[in-house]
Amino acid sequence: MESISTPRISSQLIDSYVGQNVMVVGKVQQLRGDTAVIDAEGQITANLNRDAHLVQGNAAQIIGKVLPDLSIKVMSSVDLGNNVDFKVAQAVVDATHQCRDLFVFDASKNMMMG
Amino acid sequence: MATDSYGGGYSRTSYGAGGGEDAGGFVYGGSQGGSQSGAGKGYGDDTLRPVTIKQVIEAEQAYPDAPFRIDGLEVTQVTFVGMVRAISPQTTNVTFRLDDGTGIIEVKQWLDADKQDDAGKEPFALDSYVRVWGRLKSFNNKRHVGAHVIKSVTDYNEVQYHLLEATYCHLFFTKGNPAGADGGANGGGDSMFVDGGAGAGGGDVPMNDGLRQVSARARQVYQWLSNTEGGNEGIHANQIAQEMKISIGEVLKCGEELTSAGVTYTTVDDETFAILDY
Repeated sequence: MESISTPRISSQLIDSYVGQNVMVVGKVQQLRGDTAVIDAEGQITANLNRDAHLVQGNAAQIIGKVLPDLSIKVMSSVDLGNNVDFKVAQAVVDATHQCRDLFVFDASKNMMMG
Repeated sequence: MATDSYGGGYSRTSYGAGGGEDAGGFVYGGSQGGSQSGAGKGYGDDTLRPVTIKQVIEAEQAYPDAPFRIDGLEVTQVTFVGMVRAISPQTTNVTFRLDDGTGIIEVKQWLDADKQDDAGKEPFALDSYVRVWGRLKSFNNKRHVGAHVIKSVTDYNEVQYHLLEATYCHLFFTKGNPAGADGGANGGGDSMFVDGGAGAGGGDVPMNDGLRQVSARARQVYQWLSNTEGGNEGIHANQIAQEMKISIGEVLKCGEELTSAGVTYTTVDDETFAILDY
């Protein structure tokens, strides 16, 4: 049991998460070598690791760290196929940030218990 | 949201139907509890709640071995989704580490000795999503979930849907029904009382209006009262506190709230409440 969260974000929120690990669900727009451009309410550049198997045009979920240039250094990526409702994905991002209590462990608070 | 219809499903099951609420007093601590397989109480008031892993990690326990609570409500069974981060087969169970982006929790699936043959084939790939149905457990101060069922999630939308449903339930229990939802969505428990109130002191205000302005917890007390046969004398706050397993202070606060909303009244003393049009 670990109190570590990777909050779901979109490109609209990325600048408040520099240095943190986040999760992005979006559509793979471009794949160039080890870089992918992912659309999640705007474009996000993702620096992929070697074992990434994303498919252009499909949905993807990436987890990684937001770098100072607002790209994401990917630690884990999953191809989600072509049947993902991006409106729902955005609704989850909204819910995450409206009800942070349910979704995000804030590093500043110590909420562990026995 | 399409989950409105779930609202009624999570309300507590009627105690009265269980064959007399008096029995409740000794089932929890008495000899009968021992005869039930470990659970310590019946399954009559089990709920199945969709949660995030963070909610599981933060679920409160009043004392060791006490029932877990989320948003102040007792939870028995929970369901959640998560990515498989690790699988470690043990002699008696398989332990998974699941991560849904809100936290990481261990989930144990016990092996059934009678079905030894299917123990070997664990079909879950690392980094794939699964859905778990199970119970919160605490062992050596370490929390885990004992899974009844684990299934692969084949459609990623289920992950999104689940997180929204968990949010909906959280908001339902902490903030009450959405203002837009009308009597119908309030569930059968309330609608029973809509018609009866006409002649009562409250005037023409339908009961639902009174209930709508009270807190979610007060509504639970009302719900409990309406599901419990209290006779004409009402039910003392001590008994409500004991059976709903909330503090006496909270019951009194809710009672006051309900009474000033005109849906309950005090009977023999200030701490005994009855439903106004019961």
